[in-house]
Amino acid sequence: MIRVKIKKEQLKLIFNRLKTSHKIIGPKINNDVIVLTEIADFYDIPFGYREQQGKGTYRLTKGSSQFFSFSVGPDSFKRFVNPPAREIFAFKKSKKRISIMSSNKSSAMSNEKSDSSQLAMVRVVQHSSSLPFLFVGMRACDIAALRLLDKVFLEGHVKDTFYDSIRRSSLIIGVNCLYPGDNCFCSSINTGPEIKDGFDMAITELDKSFLLEIGTPSVREMIDELPVENASNEDIAEKDSLIANCKKNMKKTIDISELPWLIYKSLEHPRWTDIANRCLACGNCTQVCPTCFCNSSYDYLQLSGISKKIPELSGTRIRSWDSCFSTNFARVHGGNFRPSRRARYRQWMSHKLSYWIEQFGSLGCVGCGRCITWCPVGIDITQELEVLKK
Amino acid sequence: MYDKTIPFDAAIRWIKKETRDTTTYAIKIINREIQRLYAFKPGQFNMLYLPGIGEAPISISSAPIDNEIMHTIRIAGDVTTHISRLNTGDVIGVRGPFGSSWPLEEIEDRDLMIIAGGVGIAPLRSVIRHLLVGKRRKKSSIQYQTGKKIILYGAKTPKDMIFRDEFPRYMDAFEVFLTVDKADPEEYWRGEVGLITGLLNKVSFNPLNTVVFMCGPEVMMQSMVRELMLRGVPGEKIFISMERNMNCGMGICGHCMFGPKFVCKDGPVFRFTDIEGFLGIKEI
Ligand SMILES: Cc1cc2nc3c(=O)[nH]c(=O)nc-3n(C[C@H](O)[C@H](O)[C@H](O)COP(=O)(O)OP(=O)(O)OC[C@H]3O[C@@H](n4cnc5c(N)ncnc54)[C@H](O)[C@@H]3O)c2cc1C
Ligand code: SF4
Ligand code: SF4
Ligand code: FES
Repeated sequence: MIRVKIKKEQLKLIFNRLKTSHKIIGPKINNDVIVLTEIADFYDIPFGYREQQGKGTYRLTKGSSQFFSFSVGPDSFKRFVNPPAREIFAFKKSKKRISIMSSNKSSAMSNEKSDSSQLAMVRVVQHSSSLPFLFVGMRACDIAALRLLDKVFLEGHVKDTFYDSIRRSSLIIGVNCLYPGDNCFCSSINTGPEIKDGFDMAITELDKSFLLEIGTPSVREMIDELPVENASNEDIAEKDSLIANCKKNMKKTIDISELPWLIYKSLEHPRWTDIANRCLACGNCTQVCPTCFCNSSYDYLQLSGISKKIPELSGTRIRSWDSCFSTNFARVHGGNFRPSRRARYRQWMSHKLSYWIEQFGSLGCVGCGRCITWCPVGIDITQELEVLKK
Repeated sequence: MYDKTIPFDAAIRWIKKETRDTTTYAIKIINREIQRLYAFKPGQFNMLYLPGIGEAPISISSAPIDNEIMHTIRIAGDVTTHISRLNTGDVIGVRGPFGSSWPLEEIEDRDLMIIAGGVGIAPLRSVIRHLLVGKRRKKSSIQYQTGKKIILYGAKTPKDMIFRDEFPRYMDAFEVFLTVDKADPEEYWRGEVGLITGLLNKVSFNPLNTVVFMCGPEVMMQSMVRELMLRGVPGEKIFISMERNMNCGMGICGHCMFGPKFVCKDGPVFRFTDIEGFLGIKEI
């Protein structure tokens, strides 16, 4: 691992260098909340902010002398690799023909060698011209969450080519958390606070400088052009003690030693009913969670009239985030498999803390605490898990 | 391989009405390259797509050995209603095949009992035809021909019985036992009347040598499994096909989750013992 340090102000050189080749996505204040959005440069980063997070509360406060003293807000980077809504394909339908215009690169290949006289479906490849993403300020939990999404979208039965192309082209500049949010519990599930891998560059904000750890050659080349110094042993010791401190200050934990069995044996626990009496089934927890991936596809129609030239029907098929809390999520003809909120909360938490392990080999929770902060009634996954033990 | 997130075109070759609400469609994949690459196993399903209306998961009711891909569809809602309005020559979108299949290797040297309720016979017809047509054509499925083979099928009334005209042919290779919940006074009916579980008393089978393939309403399957196990059939030898809401068909949308399983990719066919812990749990 290459470790260098740079004067704090000089971090902007890295931004300036990358801003022509990448679309920079990072933290920015919007309506008193730190969101993730396209940022123009280094100075958009909310310098000197901390926040107080509680069950169902979030307040930004000024008063630190650090760049990165805030922790995670409601947004997660999943919105950029797996957008809230996106087109899967556009279609036109006439009487005897469905034409699909795919926005998916790989799908073009299947028709390459085919007999065009037999071809009823035409697939047009659309290349997106926008710049690749540079994700700035990703925390250890967010990087861990992205690796979980990789398991879903890249390592399953099919590869999501859209996700894949964004994922492969994006650069990740992570930031080690030194001040845990009040709802964070990454350290108890080993997803943070220190970023150990999965980054192109990881930043630690020391007292006087930024310590930069270089993960990939794409960033290494650039570092050679910048006014950097080698990091000393003292710098590394400073980082280690700051991170140890962060761990020590983390207020919440979950005990993973009994998972997934604890959930399996608690599926009929009376606590689920108690939670259901508070839960609004609003789905906020699933929207803010960086690993929740459930989605639905539906057709968005344009009625183009009936003329000889214009097809009868055209539109796009859209895939958008959905939530296991939605009323119709498990509905089939003749009924709904999970009509009660009790069952829907149980499904969500059981998925996060146990089913994931069987499905993808690790917990579906990275301990970011977002679901606790953004639950309007303050339901706290760590506390509910504790109760299930009793 | 072609992209299973994007539907391909298939044309309806012929249509056969089975009952008042259920119809069999034979479809042909139009793109030759996809036609060549498309291969399925009995028990798998396709997502059928009508632009502007939506998609529905539908089992393949023909066998791989058949010349056509067939779907047997009961009208349940939007997509299936619109399919019921299509004619020969019309084009539908198809994604697939998806899901697990009936484990044919399990029935080598063993007896097979097929148990179906209602439209649940559709995915099992694929196995039935695989064995039947295979036997007639002396194709590879011959290796599964040694054991005894039984079909138990239950429908609401004789009029709701799907493939009723085909059962005489099935008798070439299977012992067939049919039952209806209610016999219809106007219909000539010489099968049983009563729940499908009752049929178990009429069949003679060796529980320790029998493999069960079952598909039907969940409550039916639950009581059937109980009866079978009481008679000594090991849970490891019972395979059931499950139904859940489906949207993607390939494990990325979350709709079909059943405990830790994705019905679309880990199922729809499950070994009973792999899911038994979740079967009785309400609203899982
Ligand atoms: C693996 C599998 C194989 C199947 N095989 C067959 C078959 O061979 N023949 C057959 O007739 N039926 C089969 N079904 C059932 C069939 O998928 C449903 O009846 C169908 O989805 C109804 O679609 P629809 O658009 O007509 O109804 P909709 O208009 O979608 O809906 C009717 C009701 O069903 C709900 N629903 C939505 N999605 C699904 C879904 N994926 N499955 C069930 N209900 C849903 C709706 O919310 C609504 O309440 C199968 C289902 C599965 C999961
Ligand atoms: S379940 Fe809650 S704490 Fe865990 S990753 Fe999702 S939002 Fe974060
Ligand atoms: S747990 Fe909270 S955030 Fe999640 S659905 Fe219930 S009320 Fe909404
Ligand atoms: S249908 Fe989408 S995960 Fe199974």
